[in-house]
Amino acid sequence: MLTLNVLRNNNLAISSAERDVLEKSIERTRTLRSGQLAVRQGVEVEVSLLLVDGLMTRHIDTPDGQRHLVGLHVPGDFVDLHAYVLKKLDHDVAALTEVRVAVFPHETLEAIQASNVRLTRRLWFVTLLDAARERQWIYRLASLNASQRVAHFLCEMNARLLAINASDGHIYMLPMTQNEIGEVCSLTNVHVSRVLRQLRESNLCNVRGSRVQILDLGALVSYASFDPAYLFLNAETAARAVAT
Amino acid sequence: MTQNDKAEPRKDAGRASAENGVVVLDGPDGVAVTMTVEAAVLTAESLQAAAELARTQRRIEK
Repeated sequence: MLTLNVLRNNNLAISSAERDVLEKSIERTRTLRSGQLAVRQGVEVEVSLLLVDGLMTRHIDTPDGQRHLVGLHVPGDFVDLHAYVLKKLDHDVAALTEVRVAVFPHETLEAIQASNVRLTRRLWFVTLLDAARERQWIYRLASLNASQRVAHFLCEMNARLLAINASDGHIYMLPMTQNEIGEVCSLTNVHVSRVLRQLRESNLCNVRGSRVQILDLGALVSYASFDPAYLFLNAETAARAVAT
Repeated sequence: MTQNDKAEPRKDAGRASAENGVVVLDGPDGVAVTMTVEAAVLTAESLQAAAELARTQRRIEK
């Protein structure tokens, strides 16, 4: 089932009937290789994409050639549902790893909007979740120091992957380079490397290659000032995300 | 509404350290910068000069 992870373990659940409607709205699936652009900034689109497998990014290219990563998506996320209304995005969407996406033509979303108020509300909720995460990313960059930023990001990814059963609450795979973590946290890779060493030496977490092992979740959450409320997870998942 | 701490000057210092041939500056607050040796030296000199000037301004205000 391609839509299995949509709002999985969120506090606004999707019924099996609604999931069936979503499944039937999928036109096809696409596979993209790592680094491939899925949606280009400023180009009109007539479909929205649901991430089924892999990781995707939202990013903005700066005039001096730098890439600024402004969003990271996990399976179950609609990466550009806002394009249904906006039609053109103000940023690019790309595959961070090899990914599979489900393609929703906007006309099928239009049909859902016309006939299914409850499901429409849930799709709206999905875009509001995007906005909540982005607010939290602004807070992270504005208010946390370098090691807290990385710790907060690792806590967020743990919580999001926990919700889709891709983390056991302490160990998960994060196929990102230190450079890419640096893009998320606005740090150089040298700085990320140093911070990851500090977190390891403090017995908070151990990042080796793509494997993230949280050694003391409660302490990491506390250090990062991480509160998963902005992810709107169900109570059980939110509690596991902070080790209570 | 909580107070905007960012409106007040920080009383805690940033901490600089050397890492793989560059200088990493952590804090205060959300500052997190990596600089070349040359940029770090220029920043240090600029900070020192600005701090001396600010100290003078503070004396005049008193």
